[in-house]
Amino acid sequence: MAADDDENPKPGSNYITQSELRSEFSHHDPTIARINNGSFGCCPATIIAAQQRHHLLLLRQPDYYHAKLLKPSILHSRRLIQTLINADRVDEISIVDNATTAAAVVLQHTTSSFSLSSNFRPGDAALILHYAYGAVKKSVQAYITRAGGHVIEVHLPFPVKSASEIVLEFRKALRTGKSNGRKIRLAVIDHITSMPCVIIPVKELVQICRNEGVDTIFIDGAHAIGNLPIDVKSIGADFYTSNLHKWLFCPPSAAFLYSKQTSDELMETATAWMGTRDYSAQLVLPEVIEFVNRFDGGISGIMKRNHDKVVEMGEMLAGAWGSELGAPPEMCASLAMVGLPICLGVKSDLDALKLRRHLRECFKVEVPIYYRAPLEGEVDDDSVTTGYVRISHQVYNVVDDYYRLRDAVIKLVEAGFTCALLSK
Amino acid sequence: MAAALPHHNGTTITAAAQNPTPEPKPITPSELRSEFSHHDPTIARINNGSFGCCPATIIAAQRRHQLLFLRQPDDYYFNTLKPSVLRTRLLIQTLINADHVDEISVVDNATTAAAIVLQHTTWSFFSSAFLPGDAVIMLHHAYGAVKKSAHAYISRAGGHVIEVHLPFPINSPSEIISEFRKTLQIGKSNGRIIRLAIIDHITSMPSVIIPVKELVTICRDEGIARIFVDGAHAIGNIDINVKEIGADFYTSNLHKWLFCPPSAAFLYCKKSDDDELSDDLHHPVVSHDYGKGLPTESAWTGTRDYSAQMVLSEVMTEFVSRFENGIEGIMGRNHEKVVEIAEMLVASWGTEMGAPPEMCSSMAMVGMPTCLGIRSDFDALNLRKHLRECFKVEVPIYYREVHDDCSTTGYARISHQVYNVVEDYYRFRDAVNKLVEDGFTCARLDLQK
Repeated sequence: MAADDDENPKPGSNYITQSELRSEFSHHDPTIARINNGSFGCCPATIIAAQQRHHLLLLRQPDYYHAKLLKPSILHSRRLIQTLINADRVDEISIVDNATTAAAVVLQHTTSSFSLSSNFRPGDAALILHYAYGAVKKSVQAYITRAGGHVIEVHLPFPVKSASEIVLEFRKALRTGKSNGRKIRLAVIDHITSMPCVIIPVKELVQICRNEGVDTIFIDGAHAIGNLPIDVKSIGADFYTSNLHKWLFCPPSAAFLYSKQTSDELMETATAWMGTRDYSAQLVLPEVIEFVNRFDGGISGIMKRNHDKVVEMGEMLAGAWGSELGAPPEMCASLAMVGLPICLGVKSDLDALKLRRHLRECFKVEVPIYYRAPLEGEVDDDSVTTGYVRISHQVYNVVDDYYRLRDAVIKLVEAGFTCALLSK
Repeated sequence: MAAALPHHNGTTITAAAQNPTPEPKPITPSELRSEFSHHDPTIARINNGSFGCCPATIIAAQRRHQLLFLRQPDDYYFNTLKPSVLRTRLLIQTLINADHVDEISVVDNATTAAAIVLQHTTWSFFSSAFLPGDAVIMLHHAYGAVKKSAHAYISRAGGHVIEVHLPFPINSPSEIISEFRKTLQIGKSNGRIIRLAIIDHITSMPSVIIPVKELVTICRDEGIARIFVDGAHAIGNIDINVKEIGADFYTSNLHKWLFCPPSAAFLYCKKSDDDELSDDLHHPVVSHDYGKGLPTESAWTGTRDYSAQMVLSEVMTEFVSRFENGIEGIMGRNHEKVVEIAEMLVASWGTEMGAPPEMCSSMAMVGMPTCLGIRSDFDALNLRKHLRECFKVEVPIYYREVHDDCSTTGYARISHQVYNVVEDYYRFRDAVNKLVEDGFTCARLDLQK
C-alpha cells in the first residue's frame, strides 16, 4: 500500500513513502486545498527535473538534439502510449500540445473533406454533446459551421442515475438528427465530460454511431488517461485524444492523438502549424512510468484509489451538506460532482465563477463549480440543486483538503451567504 | 528602436520582474561566458540562425514562471497569464514601431504565424471571395515549412502558387527587385489575380536580406491586396519598422536572435479599415476565446507552457541592457563581426561570399571550395554531419545547383551571436583546409555507408 493518508509502505518495499510523496509535490502552494486536478493536472518534482534535463540537452547543442535525439525520444513516448491504450501500431499515435489542438487537427481534417468531398451536401452535420468542452464546441463552430455544416447538440441528463439514460438520449438525438435525410459526417463524443463531469459509455455510443452510418467518430478523452483504462480498439472510434498532463503526471503540456487510419493529409495539417518548439513535456513519459510504478499497483492502483477516495469524499460532503452526488459512483472516475446547498443561490455561470473565486480568496480552497440551469418544465422553486462542485482526487490530496471545503461551505450556509451578495 | 519598457497601469507584474532596476551593470567577458556555459563547450557553434540561444539568466526567469504556474495553476490562469502576455506584446510593439498593441499577437513560432495567414486565405477561397486560379506569390527560397504550408492550404483550395526565383550568389538588392517585378508581371498575365504576397525579410537558405520595403511598394502598386512578410530571423538581427515596411502581416521568432527560450514569436497584423480582414483572422487551435480577436485567441490555446512567451521583459532589462547600446549595439557588432569573419574565411579558402556585406545580417553565406564536390542537398547534409562529428563544428551548408564544373555549389551559412569567439571560426577555417589538403570529396562520404 502506498501514499494513502497515514499508511506507509512496508519496510523494505520500494514503494514511495508519505514524506517522499509530499516532497514530490512540495512546489504546490501549501496554503491551498487543491481539489481541482481536473483542470490543469499536476507534475511531480522528479518529472520536472527530467523535463529540465531534456530542456538543457536541447539548449546545449540544438542542432545535434534535433538531428539525433528528438525523434527517437518522441518515438519512445509514442510506443509507451501505444501500449497504454492498446493501439495496434505506433504510427497511429501522434503527440500534440493538448486535446484542444487535437480537436482542431481533426476538425480541420474533417472540414477539408467536407468541402472537397463529392458527396458533401450543404447541411450535412456534425454531432456533439451539449456538455462538450467549451473550447471544442467553439472549434466545431469555427470549422464545421463555417464550412456550411449543421451542428447537432445532444442533450444529456444531469444529474444522472445510470449510463443507460445517456445511451437512450443519445440514440434518440441521433435518430432525430438524421431525419430529413441529413448525413452525419462527424460525431464528437467525450469519454469523460468536463462540466458536469461524468463517464460516458463511449463503447455503446460508438456502436450506435456505426449502426446509424456516421462517417467519422472522434472521442475527446481529454481527462481519460490516468483516470480510467482506455482500450481504443475496444472503443472502436476513428480518433481518440487525451491529455498527458492532466492525470498522467506529465508537465504542461502534451496530449496524444490516436487515428485509426493514418493519413498523410492529417499529419501535414498538424505539422503545418508546428515548427520549432520546446518538446520536453512530450519526452518524459519513461520517467512518468517509473514514477507511477513506485505506487502499489502502478497506474491501475493509482486510478482505483483515486476513484475510491473521491467517491468517499463526495459522499462525505453530500452527507455534511444534505445534498447528493450528481452521478452514481460507477459514472465517476477520479472526479465527482457534489451538489452544493441550494441556499447558496447559484443562479448563473457567473455566480458559479464568483463563488469559486470567493472560495479561493477567502477560504483558500480551489475547486471548480458548475451551474446547472433548471430545465424547461422544472419548477424553479428552490428545490432543485443548481450548483455542484467538481472535486478531484489525485495522489497528493489529503482528507484535510476536503474537510476544508466542507467547513467552508458550512460556514457560508451558517452566515446566510448567497451568490447575490458577491460584488461584480 | 528604443529598448525602454513602456509603463502600463494596472498590469499585474510577477515577482520575477518586479526588481527595481538600477543602472544595468555592463556584462564582463567572464559573465558572458557564464551566461552560455550550458552550451556544449566542445562545439564551435556557428549556427545561431537555426535554433537561436538562451542565456542562463533567461532560463532562470523561465523556470520562475513555470514554477509559478505549477504552484497554483488556477490562480495563474485567472490572474497572471494575460497581464504577462500583455507585457510581452507591449514590448514588441515598441521594438517594431507598431501603432497599437492589439496589432500584436504572440504565437509559438513563425510557422504558426504563417499558418494563420494562410488559413485565412483558404477561407477566402472557400467563401468565393477568392476564385480558383487566383494566386499567391512567394519566394522560391522561402522557408521549407512555409512553402509546404502554402501549397497545402492554397493549392488544395484551388489557388495557384507563384514562386519568384532569386539569383544567388547576388551582388545587389536591385537584382532581387527586378526579378520580383518580372515574375509578378508574368504571374499576372492572362488576367490572373494575385491575392497574397509572402516575402521573407531575411531568407533562411541561402540567407540574404531582402529589400522588403521596395517589394511591398511594388506589390501595392500592382494591386496585391495582402502582403505577409516572414521575418522569422529578423528581430534582434536587423531593424524592423513595420510602419515603414507597410505590410499587412509581419512575423518574427523571439527565440532566434532575441534570447527567448524555445519557442515564441509575434504576428503583427496591421489594423485595417477592412473589418472583414481583422475580424476574420483566427488561430488554428480554437479555444474559449474564439472570436475575441487574434491576440486574445493566441493568448490561450489550451493548457500549455506559455513561459517562453513571458520572459521578454527579463531579456530586455536583465540581459540586453547590459550590452553597450543594447540590442542595437548587439546587432551592429554581430553584423560587423560576421562580415569580417566571412572575409577571413573566403580569403583562406580562395572562395567568395554569396552576397555583399549590406545584404548580410548577423549571418553570411561563405563559398566552400569546389574541390569538396558538394553535388546535392544530400551531400550538403552529409558534409555538415561530417563537420559536426569529426571536427566538432556546427554550421549549416547550402547546396546550389549549377551546370558547370567550376562554379561554387556549396555555401556555409555562418552566424555570429554574442557568445561566439573568433576561435570558433578558426576551427571551421582549419577544418575545411584540412579536408581540402586530404583530397576529401563528398562522394567519399557515400562510400563510407
